[in-house]
Amino acid sequence: MAPLGYIEILDAKGGVIERVSVDSFPIAIGRAYSNDVILNDPYVCPMHLAVGPDEEGRLIARDLNSVNGLRADVREKRVPFLELHSGSGFLIGHTQLRYCSVDHPLAATVVDRENGKSRLYSPYVAVIAGAAIFLLLCLDAYLSTVERATIATVVTEPLATFAMLLIWSGLWALASRIIVSRFYFPQHVAIACGAVAGFFALTFSSEWLEFFFPFVPVIWIAGLFGSAMVVAALVYGHLKFASALRRSSRFWAALSISAAMAGVSAISDFASRSKFSNVMEFTGTVKPIDASWLPTISIDQYIERSRKLQQDLDTLAQKARATQP
Amino acid sequence: MKKYIFSAVLLLVFLLLAQGQIRAQGSGATQDIFKQFSDRVVKIEVVETGSAAKASVGSGFYASATGLIVTNYHVVSKIIHTPERYLIDVIDRSGQPSQATVLGVDVVYDLAVLRTGRRPNGYLTFETKPVDQGTRLYSLGHPRDLGLSIVEGTYNGLLKHTLYPKVHFTGSLNPGMSGGPALTQAGAVVGVNVATEGEQISYLVPAERVVALLEKTANTQDAPAKSFLTEVGRQIYANQARYLAGMFSQATPSVTLGPYSLPTRPAEFFRCWADALRRKELPYVAVTHDCSTDDYIFVSSEQSSGIVRFYHQMLSTEKLNPLQFYRLYSNQFQAGNTAVFGNEEEVTPFRCQTRNVRTQTGKLKAVLCARQYVKLPGLYDAAFRVATIGARNVGLVTTLSLSGASFDNVQLLTRRYMENIKWRR
Repeated sequence: MAPLGYIEILDAKGGVIERVSVDSFPIAIGRAYSNDVILNDPYVCPMHLAVGPDEEGRLIARDLNSVNGLRADVREKRVPFLELHSGSGFLIGHTQLRYCSVDHPLAATVVDRENGKSRLYSPYVAVIAGAAIFLLLCLDAYLSTVERATIATVVTEPLATFAMLLIWSGLWALASRIIVSRFYFPQHVAIACGAVAGFFALTFSSEWLEFFFPFVPVIWIAGLFGSAMVVAALVYGHLKFASALRRSSRFWAALSISAAMAGVSAISDFASRSKFSNVMEFTGTVKPIDASWLPTISIDQYIERSRKLQQDLDTLAQKARATQP
Repeated sequence: MKKYIFSAVLLLVFLLLAQGQIRAQGSGATQDIFKQFSDRVVKIEVVETGSAAKASVGSGFYASATGLIVTNYHVVSKIIHTPERYLIDVIDRSGQPSQATVLGVDVVYDLAVLRTGRRPNGYLTFETKPVDQGTRLYSLGHPRDLGLSIVEGTYNGLLKHTLYPKVHFTGSLNPGMSGGPALTQAGAVVGVNVATEGEQISYLVPAERVVALLEKTANTQDAPAKSFLTEVGRQIYANQARYLAGMFSQATPSVTLGPYSLPTRPAEFFRCWADALRRKELPYVAVTHDCSTDDYIFVSSEQSSGIVRFYHQMLSTEKLNPLQFYRLYSNQFQAGNTAVFGNEEEVTPFRCQTRNVRTQTGKLKAVLCARQYVKLPGLYDAAFRVATIGARNVGLVTTLSLSGASFDNVQLLTRRYMENIKWRR
């Protein structure tokens, strides 16, 4: 016999814990084993509720003189009966229930956008990403070497960095093993490599941008916000394999962690700027390009703009004088 | 033969007697000078009022019948900066301290004139006419607070290549003797003890500067010490306006470093040095050229001023690729973020401006960093650094440092410095 509908037992967030099919009405709900729907809730009476049609054919949930009664939900008052439609919820004891008929309309099927990318997380991707990052680290070490470059000088530092990356990935893999019972080491390696690549891209692009436009503190902005974004992506990626969180939860967790890090970094930066220092910092990078590509100002404009510097110093000096006896 | 032997013996006896006489005269002169003039030299103690303990010790001497006392500015600078925390005790041969007030300062030449209520038994006069090089001088003072001492030395003329005239005194001055007099055998003051570099190389402030300050302060009434801080600022301001005005003008000589033509020795009082770093294990060459003034102005124990320095460094390579070379070049451009003197009470933190600038011969990355003196408004320390852009395997980083300059002069010299940097492409 085909069921008429289902009684769904829900969790606190509205997720379905259990579905009990209803083949015919009336049905009984309560803690006793004689019920059609048996609830393991101490606040529910052995014979708590009956659900069935009335004389007019309406589906009614009727309280059987229970101790804690029947309510539509936690905010509503106790009622002797409730009319049910497909999708109607009701609460007995601490248990939230819902009735759905078999023809209850359903939400559209969610397209799994990660299906097509799953290959990206295969072990081969991790190997390729790891090799690429190691080569990138070696290239960076080579370009930073201004003495005679040997294999040892070029490889030593990248090896240490890469070892740190593997340890980091290993820790996340361990977390995955504990939480979701899968190791996912190559996947975590691939994600960590992606983050390192992100940091490289961020450093590279911010240095060049600051070279072209030195009046914009690009490196500072990239250091604060860009790094936060890379960290968010890193945490989001790791949580995908190391937790059972849904996508939105992962997103908010990653965003919260990166926002906290950016906040701490901003506070620390503000504190160090507020503190007196007699160190002068020559910021600025130089890059090997044809000078004709570089946007410039004239000497007159440079001198004129230094007035702003003087005004800043005057303000600072006035503040300092105001605090002196 | 006997006659010759007799003559030789006579001559030997004569020479021995004469040498003994000279020795007796030398040590006798020192004793005489000490006996005759030591009562005109005083010890100066700057006392911290909270603990009633001395914070610093120096020397001074009576320079007028009315009791004007000459010493160094740096001996009494604490009371100029924080008069509420210090007082000056002058202690003469009697050992009795008497409190002194400041009547005038010359911060550029490191001089101060004080007065107590006491009238001296005698005072020292000055020798403002040139003295022959090699003249014996006698410096008096209280080295390391060990008691009044006399030191013999030699007058070796005025220093060459200095911004402010100083007497080169070949003798051992020590801390605590600052502000004491250096006398001729006749007891005339040739200069005031001011500094030493050790190894018997010492410096005196010439007597004519002392006389000029005494003339200015002769009729001065007592003024609150705090007002001298404004005077210190005014003097440094006027001084920088004088010596920076023509610097790096059209007539500045140039030095060639590879393709670069750069300013060098803009005035007689600069000293320049050059060097090159060429080592087999280094795939690049660094050539440096460094010029600076030797003279600094003592402002306080935490702050000095009046120094101009510039430093060119040319980097070139045949072995590094452009990406490697520019890493090195960038590092050199950002290097030297060093802490310089100064605390929160004396100076503001540095603020910097970085821009890409075009000149007549090419493009530069230019950073100007500056800070202002808190207690001496209108005066700034500044450092201006430039890196040339465009060449693949050669680059120049050059830095100009100024201290105690007006912002107008900072701008003027920054402009001229940039205009003086030229290169072939």
